[in-house]
Amino acid sequence: MSASFPSLFPGMLLDAAGRYAEDHVAQEIQGDPVRELGWTATLVPEEAGGAGGTLSDLASIVEGLATHGLQLPVVETCAVVPLLLQAAGAETAHRWLEAVAEGSARIAPMTALSATPEHLAVAARHLDIGYELSGVVQGVDLTLPATHYLVPVQMDGDDAIFLVDAERVGAPKARYRTMEGRLGADFTLERLAVPESACIARGAAVREARAKATDAALLLTAADTVAALATLIRQTVIHLKERRQFGVALSSFQVLRHRVADMYVKYLGAKGLVIHCFHEYEQNAADLRRTLRLAKVSLAESARACAESAIQMHGGMGVSEEVLATRTAQRLIASEFRYGDRLMHVARLLAQPQSDERVSLSNQTGSVR
Amino acid sequence: MSIDYAGFRRELESFARSACPPEIRAVVAAGQKITKREYQAWQQILNAQGWGAPSWPREAGGTGWDIRQRLIFEEVMAENDCPPLYHHGLGHIGPVIIRFGTPDQKARFLPRILDGSDWWCQGYSEPGSGSDLASLSTSARLEGGAWVVNGQKIWTSHAHEASMIYMLVRTSKEAKKQEGISLLLVPMDTPGITVRPIKTIDGWHHLNEVFFDDVRVRADNLIGEVGKGWTCAKFLLERERLPPANVARLELMRRQVTQLVEEAAQAAAGQRDFGGLHHKLLLCEADVKGARVMMAQATDDLIHQRPLGVQPSAIKMTCADVAQRLTTIALDAVGPDAAHRFLADAGEDVPDATWIQNYMFTRARTIAGGTSEVQRNVVANELLGA
Repeated sequence: MSASFPSLFPGMLLDAAGRYAEDHVAQEIQGDPVRELGWTATLVPEEAGGAGGTLSDLASIVEGLATHGLQLPVVETCAVVPLLLQAAGAETAHRWLEAVAEGSARIAPMTALSATPEHLAVAARHLDIGYELSGVVQGVDLTLPATHYLVPVQMDGDDAIFLVDAERVGAPKARYRTMEGRLGADFTLERLAVPESACIARGAAVREARAKATDAALLLTAADTVAALATLIRQTVIHLKERRQFGVALSSFQVLRHRVADMYVKYLGAKGLVIHCFHEYEQNAADLRRTLRLAKVSLAESARACAESAIQMHGGMGVSEEVLATRTAQRLIASEFRYGDRLMHVARLLAQPQSDERVSLSNQTGSVR
Repeated sequence: MSIDYAGFRRELESFARSACPPEIRAVVAAGQKITKREYQAWQQILNAQGWGAPSWPREAGGTGWDIRQRLIFEEVMAENDCPPLYHHGLGHIGPVIIRFGTPDQKARFLPRILDGSDWWCQGYSEPGSGSDLASLSTSARLEGGAWVVNGQKIWTSHAHEASMIYMLVRTSKEAKKQEGISLLLVPMDTPGITVRPIKTIDGWHHLNEVFFDDVRVRADNLIGEVGKGWTCAKFLLERERLPPANVARLELMRRQVTQLVEEAAQAAAGQRDFGGLHHKLLLCEADVKGARVMMAQATDDLIHQRPLGVQPSAIKMTCADVAQRLTTIALDAVGPDAAHRFLADAGEDVPDATWIQNYMFTRARTIAGGTSEVQRNVVANELLGA
C-alpha cells in the first residue's frame, strides 16, 4: 500500500523525523525535542551556524511528524521565528539566529495560531526610556518552553518586531489543550514595559519578513495536511481490511469501498495542489499568495470531508483519541484554522481581482524535490 | 539538445492566433457544441503545419514532442479558443493501431486520421452492456474471407458524422467473457449499418444507436489477435481516461464560467446573492491546479512506461467532478434568464442557454468512458484488494 502514498519530501530528514515520531508518539513530550534534534537550525543560514536549508527541508520534518501523528510546533519555532528574526539589522539578526540554531535561546512567536504573522494584535508606545506593549494575543503555541517571545507590533503607524524575555511577560492569562493536543495560551499585555533594545526591527524589513513567515507557515501547514491525509486514509484502509462485522471484512461493502476511493482521489488532488504551491514558491511566482490562499480553502474542504468520513468508517473507535486515524482527523481539522481559516482567505481572494497569471510547467512531476 | 520551451510557447501562440479561423474560435469561446465541421477544419490546418498528432511518435507521423511540449500545446490551444483535437481518431484508435496494428493497417488508417479524411466513432456500449462492457454480444463470424457482423451498439458519439467505427465484437462464445472479444475496424458506409439518433437531455445531437445486420467487413480489418480485443480495449480505455487536453479545457471552462458569474452578478444588481457561487468557483480553481499536477505526473509515467495504477481513474473522476460543478455554477448564474430559452425555434444556440445545455451535457461526464462508480471500484481494488 505504501506505493499508493509516495512521500512528498523524501530523504534523510523525512526518515529521521518519521523514526523519531514513531518512537515518541505514545508519550508525553519530554524536554524540547525540536531543539535537541537541531531542527531549529534548518532555515538558519550557514554563516549564522545554521544548516542553510530550504523550506522543502523543513517540509520533510513536518511530513515525517504528521505521518506518524506527532504534534510539535515545528512551523512556529523553525520557520516563523528565524524568518521574522531576519527583519533585524545584520548584527542583531546574526546573534539571535545563532542562538536559535544552537538552541541556547528558545524563541516562540507571540502570535495567534489562528492568525497569520501579518496579523497585528499588539501595539507599542515609545516612552522616554524603552517602550510599553499592550494587546491581547489568544491561542499562542506554548507546547515547548520559551525563554523569549517574538512579538510583531504596530507602533505609531509603523511596523516593528520586539524580542522580549519570557520572564518579563510572565504567565499567560489562560492555558488550554488545543483540539489536536498542543498547548495553547492566551496572553494579555497591559502596558508591559520593555527596554529600548527589545525593538529589534522596524519598517519595510518587518513587513517583508512577516510576509515570508506567512508564506512559509501556509506552505508547511499545507504539507502537514497532505501527509496527515495520507495517514488518515492508510489507517482507514487497514481498519476496513481488519475489522469484521456480519462475518465479513468491512472492506467487502461497496459503500465503504467507494467512500475510501473518494477520499483517496481528494488526497491526490490535494497533493497535486501542494506540489504546485511549492513550485510557485521556488520560482518566486507573483501569484504565490493567491495560490496559497486557494490551497488553504481547498485543503480545508478536502480535509474536513476526509476527517469526517474516517471517523464514521471507524465506528465507535472513530471517537476514541487512542486511535491514530481519529487523532489525525483532529489534526486535519485543527490545521484548517491555522494561519487564517478558509472564510478569511476566501474574503481576501474575493476582495482582490484575479490577475491573468500563467503558471510555469517546469518539473511538475514526481516528488517536490 | 535542450528545448526552448518559452520560444515554443510563443510559436504556438502566434500560430493559434493567426491560423485558427475566427468563426471556429467564436464557437469554442461561446462554449457551444463543437461538431465535425470545426474539428475537421482545424485538424487539416494543424496537419498542414506538421502538428496533426501531438501525442504520436514521429515514425507514425506525429510530432514526437515531449511531455512539456504536449501540455504547453494543450494549454495554448485552450487559452486561444482553438478546438480540442478530435479524440476518437488521434487519442483512441490511432495509438491502438500504432501499438497493435500490422504495417498494412498502419499505412491504410493512420494517414487518414492525420489529414482528417477519416472520422472515427467508438462501438463499445450495447443496450445490455454498459458498465459491464465485457458482457457484450454483438457478434462477428468469419464467412468466405470476411467478418459478418450482427448486433447493436448504443451511446455512439458522432456515429452520424463518422466514416469509420472501431468496435468490440464477440468472435467466440466458449471462453470466459473477456476472452473471445475482438477489435474490428468497419467503414460506416458498409451495407447493413443503420444509424438512429438518440435525443439527449442537452438538446444537441451527438449520441446514436448503430444497428448491424449481416455487415461484411474485410478480414484484415481486425486489430491484433482474434479473441484478444480486450487487451486493446483496456489499452484504449486507459488512454481515454487520460487525455492531456482535459485539464487545459477545464481551465478554459473555469475562466468562461467565472466571467459568466461576474456578468450575471452585475446584471442582478444586488437582487440575487452570488457569494456562494464565488466560493464554489474558488474551489474549482484550486482543484484544476491540483488536477494539472496529477495529469503531468501521469503523463510522465506514461512516457517512461511506468505503471499508471489508479491515476487515469482518479483524473477522470476529478475532471468529471469539476466540469459538473462548473456547469452547475453556470446553471445557477444564468438559470432565471436562460432556462425558458433552452432551444430557440431558429435552431441557433442562444448564448446564455448554451450553458444550460452544457450543464445537461456534462451530466454524461460521470457516466461515459466508465462511470464514476466503476472508477471508484478501480481505486478501491487498488487500496483494499478486489
